[in-house]
Amino acid sequence: MSGDSGVISRRQFIITTAAGVATCVAGYPSFLHAAEEVDLAVISGEPATATRKALEVLGGIARFVKKGQRVIIKPNMSFARTPDFAATTHPQVVVAVARACIDAGAKEVLVLDHTLQRAELCLERAGIRDACRNIPGVHVLALQDRKFFREIRIPQGKVLERVEVVMDILDNAVLINVPVAKSHSTTGVSLGLKGLMGLIWDRESFHSQFNINQAIADLATVIKPQLTIIDATRAMVTGGPGGPGDVRKPNLIIAGVDPVAVDSYGVGIVPWYGQNFKGRQVEHLLAAYQRGLGKIDVEKLNIYKGTV
Amino acid sequence: MRKTIQALSLLLFTAFFALASYRLPDWLPADLYLRLDPLLGLNALLASREMIGRVLWSLILIGATLAAGRFFCAYICPLGAAIDGFDFLLFRKVRRAVLRTDSTLRRGKYALLIVFFAAAATGAALVYFMDPIALLTRFYAFFLYPLLLTIINLLLDILRPLFQGWGWVGLSHLHYPQPVYYMAAVTLLIFGAVIGLNRLAPRFWCRYLCPLGALLSLISPLGVFRRRVSAECNRCMVCQKGCPMGAIGEDPLKTGSADCIQCRECARICPQKAISFPVSFSGVGEYSGLDLSRRGFVYSVGGGLTLGFLSLRTPFASLQGRRQLIRPPGALPETAFLRTCIRCGECMKSCVTNTLQPSLWESGFAGLWTPKLELRMAACEPNCNVCGKVCPTQAIRSLSLEEKTHAKIGTAVLRKESCLVWAQNKLCLICDEICPYNAIVFRPVEGYRRPVVIASRCNGCGYCEQRCPVQGPSAIVVAPDGEIRLAEGSYIREARTLQLEFKPDPGDDKYLLEESGFK
Repeated sequence: MSGDSGVISRRQFIITTAAGVATCVAGYPSFLHAAEEVDLAVISGEPATATRKALEVLGGIARFVKKGQRVIIKPNMSFARTPDFAATTHPQVVVAVARACIDAGAKEVLVLDHTLQRAELCLERAGIRDACRNIPGVHVLALQDRKFFREIRIPQGKVLERVEVVMDILDNAVLINVPVAKSHSTTGVSLGLKGLMGLIWDRESFHSQFNINQAIADLATVIKPQLTIIDATRAMVTGGPGGPGDVRKPNLIIAGVDPVAVDSYGVGIVPWYGQNFKGRQVEHLLAAYQRGLGKIDVEKLNIYKGTV
Repeated sequence: MRKTIQALSLLLFTAFFALASYRLPDWLPADLYLRLDPLLGLNALLASREMIGRVLWSLILIGATLAAGRFFCAYICPLGAAIDGFDFLLFRKVRRAVLRTDSTLRRGKYALLIVFFAAAATGAALVYFMDPIALLTRFYAFFLYPLLLTIINLLLDILRPLFQGWGWVGLSHLHYPQPVYYMAAVTLLIFGAVIGLNRLAPRFWCRYLCPLGALLSLISPLGVFRRRVSAECNRCMVCQKGCPMGAIGEDPLKTGSADCIQCRECARICPQKAISFPVSFSGVGEYSGLDLSRRGFVYSVGGGLTLGFLSLRTPFASLQGRRQLIRPPGALPETAFLRTCIRCGECMKSCVTNTLQPSLWESGFAGLWTPKLELRMAACEPNCNVCGKVCPTQAIRSLSLEEKTHAKIGTAVLRKESCLVWAQNKLCLICDEICPYNAIVFRPVEGYRRPVVIASRCNGCGYCEQRCPVQGPSAIVVAPDGEIRLAEGSYIREARTLQLEFKPDPGDDKYLLEESGFK
């Protein structure tokens, strides 16, 4: 392959710079205002309405999705479990995001995951495919063949030099990460950053070959979702990631641009395995923070809390 | 007319075969053709010495044959249709003389029939090897179906750039999981031989070998449709040469009723239009060609008994259950299972994860083609119970999902010497992550959290064995230990009696805290 080291970050850098310059030239300070707005939107309520409210608080989906763009939504649908197990993202959260993207003029929305169990079973059980069935332009896909992945380099990787990722996210698309909040027997919690493992081909090597926490941080340096929305309407606080486990109902949607900040807040919402934690106590989050990928201290964040 | 019915029947067989999959509704008998086959049914009954409900379906075919003769072979049999189809494609222009050994060969199928029944009497169910429906189902399952998916995926790959260009998202991401099977080559060879023999004589298989045809021909002369040749006949012998079954002898006025399959080819090609098949209630057709000598009969019985002896009196029988062989959930106790299973391959075709594979020599001659789980390749899916649903002889019992969950097929055993956590202190918890029953927990041992199997929660599904990232053999392997095989009764009750519970209970996970991603 053509190698393009750091293709995502460079491109994003250029786009961001260009956008910034353009807004300044045009004399519209709204872009800068948007950046100064809340770091996190934490909304309590029913899955769909809370998700819509969270998007609104962050400045509307139009801030992230422009007309004619392709959007990749990455929910967690890796397990053949029904939504009540909290092993997968709530279908209504995915639907709310997907609809918002289509309404904002997205060309198409791909809801995809590299499932751990048979694709067909996961799609059937997780309920996301059924929920998205009647939204034109939205496609729910479970990718289980290597031909849908492409290798990229990780210039800032500490343990990973290269990784095969889902091709579709390389294609200048908007990536929205919509994980479910759950415990994880290896990494403590599985939120946004851990969820990105669903976009790579060889998930197993993270466990067997590499230090998984460092590998997740490495991955976060090349896969950078524009938006992370944690579905904490339910949280599997033990038994994760596959369950069955103890399911709590925090009834929260946590959304933000900074993937570390969103996850860090997510760590604090419920006791995991019967104990309270902070973001800094989660090894992969700490590693990502130390790489400069985001803010980890919840106290320093500008958080909008609301109920719908 | 006949060809249309044949083609429709083959299509129906194919459709039922295709339907035998994970989504099969409970009411749909996808194994219909196998159920209708009295040869498979009678053999399973005789070998297992048990009543099998689904075998009663074959009374339909027996009744129909009693009433109307051996029409099954000409109109319904999907293998017959395949033979005729390939005959047309490959040998249409070949001149085939009547075999000099015709009358001897013709007895062959009766000899085989007796061999199989004698073997079944000893408890060795061997008829699967030559039953036409089982043979064709195996060919479909192990060769045709995987081939079809390969071709479909190839076409998708070729067209993918177009789909992408047109922005057809669904199609450009479409890929079907490729099923793979052991024994595919053997199965193809056998089917190829059945087709290839047609080079020597039309419907060679049906004339000389097919034991189902032999069974049906025993009762077919009682049928009401009889070939009648009128006075118009000028003995041109066109009918004799054209009969695909060779059922017309030296005297064209006479018909070997046992061999006649009512295809009416003779009536079609008769230049004098002298042949008809009217309904006749008087008497019985001629039993020509059924004259197996006493010596032949004794030899056949002896051969069958010997085969039975050879397949059953082996160390494999004594070693039952002491080998690494995992049977599908709901499989009868091993002896009954081997006697009842007809090796059709429906369970393996329908298996959603492709873990069900035909056995080679794992349980000897008596166990060829019987289903086993290849758990290193794929696991048994907790939400699927299709293998029992499609089993025509219920060698795998049809169980509800709840019952099937309790039909424990084995127990996972950790091989600490190769486990990444036990042997190398690595942070690996894939077996725990994937286990649907939380049967693997982590406990602090020597200052480190290490996986331990709780045997009473493991039903042997094998997700851990499949997913174990260790190269080569898995560090966690499902052994038959603790498997539950019931000929009747509830697995749930049995599991309760044994104090097994395949239910979520995440309590043990608290041990995680000591050394997890949390600091």
